[in-house]
This record gives sequence, structure tokens and C-alpha cells, in this order.
Amino acid sequence: MSPDPLPPPPAPPTPAPLSGDPILRTVSRAVFALVLLFALLLLWRGHNAPGGGFIAGLMTACALILHRISYGHTALRIDPARLVPWGLALSFTTGLVPYLLGKPFLKSDYGYLTTALTGEFEWATALLFDVGVYLVVVGGSLAIAYGLIRVDPQERVEGDE
Amino acid sequence: MTLAVFLPFLLAALAAWLGPRLGRRTGYVAALAFVPALLLAVPLAGAGPGAAPALEVTRWVPDLGLALAFRGDGFSLLFAALIGVIGTLSSLYSVAYLSGHERFGRFYAYLLLFGGSMLGLVLSDNLVALFGFWEMTSVTSFLLIGLWHTRSAARDGAVKAFLVSALGGLGLLAAVAMIGLAGGSTTLSGLDVEALRASPLFVPALLLTLLAAFTKSAQLPFHLWLPTAMEAPTPVSAFLHSATMVKAGVVLVAKFGLLFGSSPLWGGIIVPVGLATLVWGAWIALRQTDLKALLAYSTVSQLGLLMSLYGLSDAEGRFAATAHLLNHAAFKAALFFVVGIIDHETGTRELPRLGGLRKALPVTFAVALLASLSMAGVPPLGGFISKELFYEAMLHRGPLFIAVAVLGSALTFAYSFRLLRVFWGPPRSPPGAEPHEAPPGLTGPAALLALTALAFGLLPGVAGALTRTAQNALDFASYRGYLSLWHGVTPALLATFVTWGLGGLLILQAARVGALGRRLTPRVNANTVYYALTEGVNILSSRLIARTQGLALPDQLRIMLGAAGLIAGYAVWRSPQVFHSIGTPPLALLPVAALLVAGAVGVLLARSRLTAVVVTGLTGFGSAAAFLGLRAPDLALTQLLVEAVTVILFLLVFRYLPRTRDLPRTRWRYGVDLLLAGSAGLGATLLVLAGVRFLAPPISPYYLENSYRLGGGRNVVNVLLVDFRGFDTLGEIAVVGMVALAVLGLVRLGKKGRAPGEPPPVPASPPPKEKEEA
Repeated sequence: MSPDPLPPPPAPPTPAPLSGDPILRTVSRAVFALVLLFALLLLWRGHNAPGGGFIAGLMTACALILHRISYGHTALRIDPARLVPWGLALSFTTGLVPYLLGKPFLKSDYGYLTTALTGEFEWATALLFDVGVYLVVVGGSLAIAYGLIRVDPQERVEGDE
Repeated sequence: MTLAVFLPFLLAALAAWLGPRLGRRTGYVAALAFVPALLLAVPLAGAGPGAAPALEVTRWVPDLGLALAFRGDGFSLLFAALIGVIGTLSSLYSVAYLSGHERFGRFYAYLLLFGGSMLGLVLSDNLVALFGFWEMTSVTSFLLIGLWHTRSAARDGAVKAFLVSALGGLGLLAAVAMIGLAGGSTTLSGLDVEALRASPLFVPALLLTLLAAFTKSAQLPFHLWLPTAMEAPTPVSAFLHSATMVKAGVVLVAKFGLLFGSSPLWGGIIVPVGLATLVWGAWIALRQTDLKALLAYSTVSQLGLLMSLYGLSDAEGRFAATAHLLNHAAFKAALFFVVGIIDHETGTRELPRLGGLRKALPVTFAVALLASLSMAGVPPLGGFISKELFYEAMLHRGPLFIAVAVLGSALTFAYSFRLLRVFWGPPRSPPGAEPHEAPPGLTGPAALLALTALAFGLLPGVAGALTRTAQNALDFASYRGYLSLWHGVTPALLATFVTWGLGGLLILQAARVGALGRRLTPRVNANTVYYALTEGVNILSSRLIARTQGLALPDQLRIMLGAAGLIAGYAVWRSPQVFHSIGTPPLALLPVAALLVAGAVGVLLARSRLTAVVVTGLTGFGSAAAFLGLRAPDLALTQLLVEAVTVILFLLVFRYLPRTRDLPRTRWRYGVDLLLAGSAGLGATLLVLAGVRFLAPPISPYYLENSYRLGGGRNVVNVLLVDFRGFDTLGEIAVVGMVALAVLGLVRLGKKGRAPGEPPPVPASPPPKEKEEA
């Protein structure tokens, strides 16, 4: 029972559990895209209806974790932790711009734009701020989840069931 | 001025990006950052003594009286120009000094950040901003000193510098708050000095200001950090020691002297401390064998001199101090550059291993000669003139003061010549080193500074004019000060002769002085106290952690929940009247409430961990349903997703958790847990009930009415988050990001991130007997 030092792990790229499951793969392919689209919709309409950066971010993170579990590799090309500083910078900048223009820090601006294709629609700088929130939430939650997924088999402790 | 302060910050970001691309040539870009600071000095040349200082104010948080106010009075501009000159020269010097495999981006970025904070500090008129810049100099100097962080001495030096100056920083924060409260303004120029003097906060504020100034400027009890700070690369030392960081305390004393100078306490503390530092620093400097250590202690000593002069709080003292400030910056930076050259060419800074470098390094020798003579106070150099002024000022104080001043200066005289010894005698250099003259990139900046030191002596009119520019800020407008080499046979001149005699004696009797020094070395000094303190804190904290954090997580939770329950219970018992009924809850919520309760009870009864997780989820989804029932779809959506992510994370950490059969739960434990859960739930309910009493009209109608008009969105929650309370959201996502990074660090640490020497962590549960197949 004495805790003898672990041997250096051979560290082969271990597939995440369940990654070979064909049913999961087939279902997740469709669900992944749908959830992502829905998340983006939530982000877009957050200004006027339930939704927003935080919710959309969590939803996107769920979709990406699903993808990671079913395919064994991440759908993103970059380390998700890198999204965090970009999101923070984006949100901060959207706050800084009105400040430099002489308005209070983070004062959002909005207006209406009419194009032939979309009809009248409202634009708001709040969306940019929300995108920053979105990036931080996606990056943060994914970083934690991926960190927990990637684990060597011999470090696993038996589950209780 | 605002540009002058912020350009270094902007270019620091650029330098960090350019560093890996341009390599050492980043230094040329870095030198550009100080150009506006140099240009600030241009109007100084033409300005008369009564010129009104320029004031540039940028709004920041007007409600709190915060603004970035920069005040270009004579003293500030003079100091800014000084920072500009030394900063530019240090940047250029670094180009040739740093070896090829340095991380240039990081180095120049830190250097510029430091320069910018220093400029902000001297130019700032707003006290809060001044404090901010003050702390930034502490942080950036920590980074600079610890630049070669792989060396333990550099780490130690950086930590020491930071701890000591952060202590002073806290003092300054308190002092600034007190001054702002008592003086009725947060700007230096807007302070009501009379009200401040009458206030009971006057003395505490004065003492705290002095604490800040003494820690930063390495005055006697706090001088320990400065010599270890020389672990920084030499150009940094030149910048830190000559112009900037350490003079921040002197600046503080000079600027705040107008507020506090009337009090006898001010001069009564500063002058003795300064003089003691002058003598003690010089005495230690005399016995150093490392050239850089010698210079570091010499800086300690010279800062004592400056401090005591500004502490005199009269026009004569301030004039002399400002003159010496300029001289000191010139000769000390030049000497640091010289030591850098010697180190670069011979590979050592040890005095006994060097000799006869005169032939090999003629230009460096000339520079060192001029600078050292200026430091020693020998005519016709600038240092002589300012030392005479120092003697004049001390003579007016009394015989004891002049005696101490002469003693300190004699020691200074002796160590200045000791420094020069590396150039005389038989050629000696460490084996393998073939010293030859350094490239112009190294000698150029040093020569320029040495010539400045000479010019201050030969053209005293120019130096005098420069010094007088400070008068509109430091209030010596009525003082007819001037600088000259010859001012007749005065007591000050006689004191100088005594100094030279004493200094010469010290040089000739070097062996005896050394023996005396060894005998006089106290066993307990500031350093041993510092290490004892830090050690003690470490031991204390590890014991405290062992005592308090040794419990298993469930036990810690039990204690916390139990305490919360007890407090809530006590509150109910003491004042039951704070609780109000919330009226009749909507009947539709009753099934939801039943679901929540079922979930909570189910967790307790769950036999396996998986069941427990699922049942916990019940409460989460139940809350979401409750939010929906209360017509808060946004919250419900958030709650649902948080619940989903929680379940996912739960499943992911499952494999790390110890088996439940290793944590037996007895019947007794069940009872305790049930009680705890019940009391915590009851407590939370009571808290909510206590909170529903409206002490003020609710704010929600305002948001409902204005969210579309002001924020342009129909989703009130979202407008609230991104506009009305956008600043909170920004803080929250910053927290989310930090938490993610922290968790990531923990996860990686558990996997592989053990330091090489560290023993492997003891697993909480026995290692698995058989591998689980994926």
C-alpha cells in the first residue's frame, strides 16, 4: 500500500473513452452542427430575447466536448485557453472605445440599418461585448474539460461502479 | 506630457512583439520611447522662475476624484528629462551589452514599462494616480531585477526588493487616503494645506509617507534590498540606481516637503536618517570587493545625502539637493556603465582580480576617472560644487551635522578612489580574458554622461540654470542660489580640505580600516532580520495549513455548512422580526418545490456516486423549472446549461475520485449530514426571507423602463449585463478566465507538472490494482 513513485508514463495519445462508438459518432455529427448553430443564434438574438454570450458559450462548449468525446480529437485548431485573453481583450476594447470618445466606459451604442437583403435590423455594440463574453466562456470551460479528458490510463482510479 | 508618460507603455507592447523579430536592435525602438520625455525639457530652457506649470488632466473616474493629472512644473519636468536621458542611454547601451541569446522582447518591454511608470510618478499631480505609478515601479522593478530568473540570487533580490518596497507602498496608500481626506482634494496642487496641517491625520500621514519614501529610497533600516537588486543586468542597474526607482522616494520627499515641511517632525526624522544612511552606506561600500556591490552601497549612501538635504525643507537645502540630484544621476549612471564594460571585457567584477586596465581600456579609464572624481567631490567636476552646497547647508545646522557630513564624504572620497584602483598597478585580469576596448555602443553612453559630469563643473552657470528650473515647484523662488567652482575661502572649503585629508588617510590605511571593519561588523543586520522574518512567516503558514487544511473535503464542507447553519440559527433566535412572509407562493411552483426537496433528500440516500450526481441534477433542473415558472427564461436557460456542463465535468472527474467504499459512511454520519443539510437549507431560506423586505424602492422598474430606450435591447437581462452593469460583467469574465487557468494549472500539476526535486505526491487512495480498459 505504500505509495511507490509512479514510473514515467509512456504517454501514448490515448483515445477518450467511448470514442469508437459508431452510434455516438453518427448522432453527434448531426447534433454538433445543430447545437453550434443554435448557440450562434442565441448569441445573435441575445440583445432582444433570451440568450446572450454566457449561454451561447456554455452551449458551444457542450457541443465541442461532445465532439471531443465521440471523435477523440478536438474540433478546434487552437488551445482553447487561448480564447480567454482574446475574449477579455475584445470585451475590454468595446468598453474602451466609448470612453475614448468621451462617453462613460462600456456605454453601448446601437442603431438601425436597412439593407435590401435583411430589411431593417438593429445593430448594437453590445453584441461585440457579448462575443467577448462568449469567447471567454467557451475558452474557459473547454480548457477545464479538455484538461480533465486528457489523462493517462494508469492514473485512473477505479470508479465505484 | 500625457503622451510622454504613455508612449513608453505603448512601445513596451510593441517591443514585446518586436523582440523576437528584431533581436537586440529592439533597443533602438525602445530609445524612441523617451523622446517625448526629453522634449518636455525644451520649454524649460526658456522658462523664467515664475512660469506657471502646465497641467494636463484626463478624466478617469470623475465621481471618485480620480483623474490622470500631469503637472509639468519645473522639478517634475527636470526629473522627467533626467529619466528620458538615462532611459535612452540605457536602451542604447543594452543593445551592445546584452548577449545574443537574451529574451530581448521581454527585457525591453519591462524596461519601458518601468520608464513609463517612473515618468508617471514624477509628473503625476493626482495622488491616487501617483500611488498607482508608484506601485507600478515596484512591480516592474521586480520583473527587471528578476530578469535572469533562473538564478536564485536574482529571484531572491527581486522578491526582497518587492517585499520591502511593497511595504512602503501600502504606507503610501494609507497616506494618500489620509491626505485626500484631510486636505479635501486628491490633487497635489488642489490640496488645502492649512486644513491638512490642522487635521489629526497630519502626523500619521507624515509618518506613512516617510515609510514609503524610506523603503523606496533604501534608507537605513530598509537599505537591504538595494544591493541585492544589482542582480539585474547592468543597464537596468544604471537606470534603476541612478535616475529612477531609488530616487522615487527622494521625489516623494521633495514633493511632499511642501505639505509636511512645516512640521519639525519631518526634518527631525529625515535629516538624521539621511545622514546615518550616508555614513553607513559609504562605510559598507568602502569594504566591498564586488565593483557593482560597491556602487550599490554608494547609491544607498548618496541617497542618504539627497534625502537629508530635501529633509531640511528650506530653499538652500532644496537647491543643493536638486543640484546634487543632477550630478549624481550623471556620475552614477556613467560608473554603472563602466562596471558593465569591465564585466563585459574581463568577465569579472571582483576588485582583487583586476588591475592595470588603464592600458587596455583607455576610453573607459577616462570615463571612470571623470565620474569617480565627481563622486569624490574633486574640482573641477560637478560633484565638488554640489558637495560644497551640501556642506553650506549642514554648516547652518550645527557642528554635529557638519561633522557627520564630513565623515560621510571622506568615506565617499575613499571608495571613489578604491573603485579606480582597477585601472592602476600591474596588468591583472582573470585567466582567459583578453581585455580590450569596448565597442562604441558601450563606451559612447558612458562617455556622454562623464562629459556631462565635467560640464556641470566647468560650466556651473548651465547647471545652475537647470537647477533653478525646479524652483517654481519646490518653492525656492526667493533663494539666490548659484553654482560656482570658487566661492572664496569659506568654512565649506575648509571642510572639504578636512574631507580630503581624512579620505586620503582612509586610503593609505586601507588594511587597518579593513581589519576594523571586520571587527565592527554586527552579527545581526537588516538582512538577517529580513531572512528570519520571511523564514518565520513560511514556517508559520505551513503549520497553519497543516492544521487547517488536513481534513478531507467532505469534512471541510461539513464544518462550513455547520457554521453557516449555526450563524443563521443565532440570527433567528436573536431577532425574529427581520423575517417577512413572502405572501402566498404561486401554486404552480409546488410540484417544483417538491422536486427540489426530493432531489436534496435523494442525494443523502444515494448509495453510489453516479446516483448522487443524477439526483443532484434534479435540484438543478428543478431550479430551472422554478425560474421558468417565475417568468425568467434567461435565468432558466443559464441554469439548464450550467447544470449540463456541471454533469459533464462531474463525469470527467469521476475517475480521479477515490472509491466510495474507501470512505465509509456510518449511520451516525448520515444523521449528522441530514442535520447539516437541513439546517443549511433552512438558513438559506431564512436569508431569502430576510432579504425580501424592501429598504428602498426596488430598482427593477427603472431597468424595465429604460433598457430599450438607453441600451436599445428588449432583453432587459442582457442589457443589464452588457450595458448598465457592463463593468461587473467584465470583472466576472475576467474571473471566469482566471478560474479556468487555475484549474488548468491544477490538472496539469496532477498529471506531470512536478518539479524535478519534489517527491511524488502521496495519492489519496491506493493505486489501482488493475488497469481499466478504455
